[in-house]
Amino acid sequence: MATRARVVRMEPPAATGGNALLVLVGLSVVFLLIVALLGVAKSGGSLISESNFLYVALIFYAGAGSLYMGFGVTGTPRYVRYASVATSIGLVANTLAVAHRWYLSGRPPFASIYEMLLSFVWAVAAMTLIAEKKFGVKIIGSITMPLAVVCVILMQLLPSEVRPLVPALQSTWLHVHVTLAMLSYAACALSCALAMMFLIQDGFQTETFLAWTSAMVSAIYIAIVATRFEKWGGLSVTGWNAQTKSDIFLGQGMRLFVTVPDLGWLFVIAALAAIVPLLLYFAGRVRNDGSFYGTANKAVFISILLQLVVVAAFVLRVRDAAYPSPDQDGLFPTSLAASPFLLGGMVTGIFASLLYLMLLWRRADLQGLLPSADTLDRVTYKTIGIAFPLLTGMIAAGAYWANRTWGSYWSWDPKETWAAITWLVYAGYLHMRITRGWRGRRAAYFAILGFGVVIFTFLGVTYLLPGLHAYA
Amino acid sequence: MAFSLSSIPKRIHKTFANLRTGIVLLILVVIASAMGTFVLQRPATDADRLAQAYSPNTLRWLDRFMLTDVFHSWWFLTLLGLVSLSIVLVSLDRFPNAWRFYARPYRKTDWHFRAALPHKVELPIKNAEDGLNAAERALKKLGWPVERVAYKNEPSLYSERHRFSVMAVYIVHASLLLIFAGGIIDGAFGYSGFLALHKGQTGNVIELRSGGKKQLPFAVKCYAAGQDNYADGSPKKWWSKLAVVQDGKEIESKEIVVNDPLVYRGLRFYQSSYWLDNHTVDSLQIAWVAKNGKETPLQLHMNQPVALDSDATVSLVDYIPDAFVRDGQVFKKSDDIENLAFGLEVKNRATAEVSKVWLLPAQGIVLGGENLNYQFKNPTGAQDIALAAVTGLEVSHEPGQWLVWGGVLLMCAGLGVAFYMVHMRLWIVAIPDAKGKLVLWVGGQANKNRDRFEQKFNDVVEGIRSELERESLTSRPARKEQPELTLAGVK
Repeated sequence: MATRARVVRMEPPAATGGNALLVLVGLSVVFLLIVALLGVAKSGGSLISESNFLYVALIFYAGAGSLYMGFGVTGTPRYVRYASVATSIGLVANTLAVAHRWYLSGRPPFASIYEMLLSFVWAVAAMTLIAEKKFGVKIIGSITMPLAVVCVILMQLLPSEVRPLVPALQSTWLHVHVTLAMLSYAACALSCALAMMFLIQDGFQTETFLAWTSAMVSAIYIAIVATRFEKWGGLSVTGWNAQTKSDIFLGQGMRLFVTVPDLGWLFVIAALAAIVPLLLYFAGRVRNDGSFYGTANKAVFISILLQLVVVAAFVLRVRDAAYPSPDQDGLFPTSLAASPFLLGGMVTGIFASLLYLMLLWRRADLQGLLPSADTLDRVTYKTIGIAFPLLTGMIAAGAYWANRTWGSYWSWDPKETWAAITWLVYAGYLHMRITRGWRGRRAAYFAILGFGVVIFTFLGVTYLLPGLHAYA
Repeated sequence: MAFSLSSIPKRIHKTFANLRTGIVLLILVVIASAMGTFVLQRPATDADRLAQAYSPNTLRWLDRFMLTDVFHSWWFLTLLGLVSLSIVLVSLDRFPNAWRFYARPYRKTDWHFRAALPHKVELPIKNAEDGLNAAERALKKLGWPVERVAYKNEPSLYSERHRFSVMAVYIVHASLLLIFAGGIIDGAFGYSGFLALHKGQTGNVIELRSGGKKQLPFAVKCYAAGQDNYADGSPKKWWSKLAVVQDGKEIESKEIVVNDPLVYRGLRFYQSSYWLDNHTVDSLQIAWVAKNGKETPLQLHMNQPVALDSDATVSLVDYIPDAFVRDGQVFKKSDDIENLAFGLEVKNRATAEVSKVWLLPAQGIVLGGENLNYQFKNPTGAQDIALAAVTGLEVSHEPGQWLVWGGVLLMCAGLGVAFYMVHMRLWIVAIPDAKGKLVLWVGGQANKNRDRFEQKFNDVVEGIRSELERESLTSRPARKEQPELTLAGVK
């Protein structure tokens, strides 16, 4: 702790330096826009199209995210000003994308996971600006903007053509249900970001978080290596039958595994890299020496880079490829859909590590720029106070609609069940807060957990747990 | 702490009236529900898929713990029952206090109560009655109801808004119980099943989801069913023209679509699926040629004779989706639509002689009937053949659903009140301050959204202050000269 405090004091006053990032981000934005413009001019397509608007939104969201993060690291207030300008431009482009799609299809963009994400990103960006202008939580964009960027990139992988509404979706309740869902999810995202701001402001021990994060990431990778590492450094994944859209089965409960060569080593390296910060943490505790933590933080950074490399390699090699199996002759196709839990584990690991990196920003000058911990705690609660009734309304509208479409208001479909779980988690938060007086850190952890469940309900269930709710 | 039998109910009460127990139960419900989504579930997943996904041993254990049908297992229902019990007991424990608070609001202003209030301001006044009057005017101007309270000879004002909001939390919990009650009633007395009807068919026996069949006290007739497509060929609308038939009389009719069911006597008929029956032809468009070479179009429906001329009738009697011909005979090969074959019967009215004619459009041949005066032509394309439409109706009886909707509405209202209605209270009393000078003491409290209340409280204080100022401007000299004023008035 002492070392960090000294570092802060030795730094130059925040306001003087820090044009570099601004120039860099500005140039990148301009460069990307020009490249995109040239691309459009070359292909002769229309400038006014949803994908172009979305691309512009992506560029500005990414720029805004970098500036917000830059603000988090350097504390230059000017960054935030430009970041919120960039967010506003991104929001305008996003609105145009939504409007263009709405105009073309003649209905609000609520009918597929792509359209849901389009609306969700819009709601998140809008709420970020509201939180910034109304509550003065300036740095919240450093969490919500990367989220928006990830969502927009994810959207590029999804089928985006405008499809006419299938019969089940032709209902007024679609609009009610989805609007409520998007608003409540965005409010949940905001409450999570606010809770993280609170943790930064609250001055808690980052070391404990370091230990938990690296323990979790290590556990994920050790589990993967222990169960999936094959001879000569391969990684075994489940074979995928594209026709039936299911795993390939050899017999009862026996899946066919194929071996992706060399990928196993990468996972071993990632596992080792994840253990290093944990070991450094323990060394620091045993020796009672704070300098170990600084090294551990650098090790976390390396671990994150490696995790990104591993995920990228995994995606590139497993996506729509074919590999031999040790059990049967011939090549068998693979698909990302066949390894939902591997992917889920890896993505969770990256998010947890990034969360930790963000918490490392806690610094004296940053704390001065944020609202007080008490205010953040209260605003987090207020945001959940908005999200919870919306969530209730979303579930109620969904149930009423299901009763008109599926013949039953509740059929324990995975999406329904997880919506109910989300509701219960936030209900738990409210009870602990109101009757047990949970404030501050515990409440903040709870809010972050709640948003994790929301993300699982929103995206995880759609891809991992198929059911009636197949539209999104 | 002797353990006696009589203490068991008390212990149970103590355990379940505890919020911690409630939270533990909620966590268990969450875990069980999550398991129910990760493990493949019985009614939705068919047995083959389950047998494929899990080894026999695993499946046996999953079944033993009812993990393959979590949401209908006794232990999950018990868990929900315990949650309800916990909600009831916790609410009962807390309700009397809350009710006392609601029914008899605390209007008094003891010094220790005043000391504990979060918002308080002292405004100097000359005279208790005038000060309170000014405060009353200010409050009324701002829309607060005002009550005069006399306590220990200290005249005071009490004002509150939205007292009802303290009851909201009980409304929300009661609504949850209402929803559970609706679910229990539906589980016990409700049923759901499936009814498939061909065009023109009437049915009153549904296949229950739980297995078995159920006969309805009335029948449903399907007049027509169909699918409308978008320009790109994807389905736009499934519809069925249905009628309720009872004792041979048609009572009600409706065209249902996917989001709009037919409701009759608590039973709902949903458009659930639509398909074409490969085994049944609805209509066939062909042509026949007379001896003189005259070609006449002919539309046939299954088993409905059509007069060719005054001598003979023809009817469509056979349909094979996938047929093959051997030795001049037509046989069925499979149920897939591949090589269609239509069997016609031509009946001579005078002799009652029947001849069979087979149309095989895929091969372009017509078998039989060579010696007849009538020649038949094959249908020219798919547009001439209409397979019978079948509408799949989901039927459900949910007698508890109105409790559920009532509960849902109540919960939305309750949450709205609980989160957005603030119980605000103000106490105003004229007392001497620490130095013994007379002041108007204004205190306030809100049960939530404290910063918004602070604003409102400041508004009230400002209102009273300006009201006091006005009074001191106008009435202070007036009060001094009050008798003279009166005299002047008399003069």
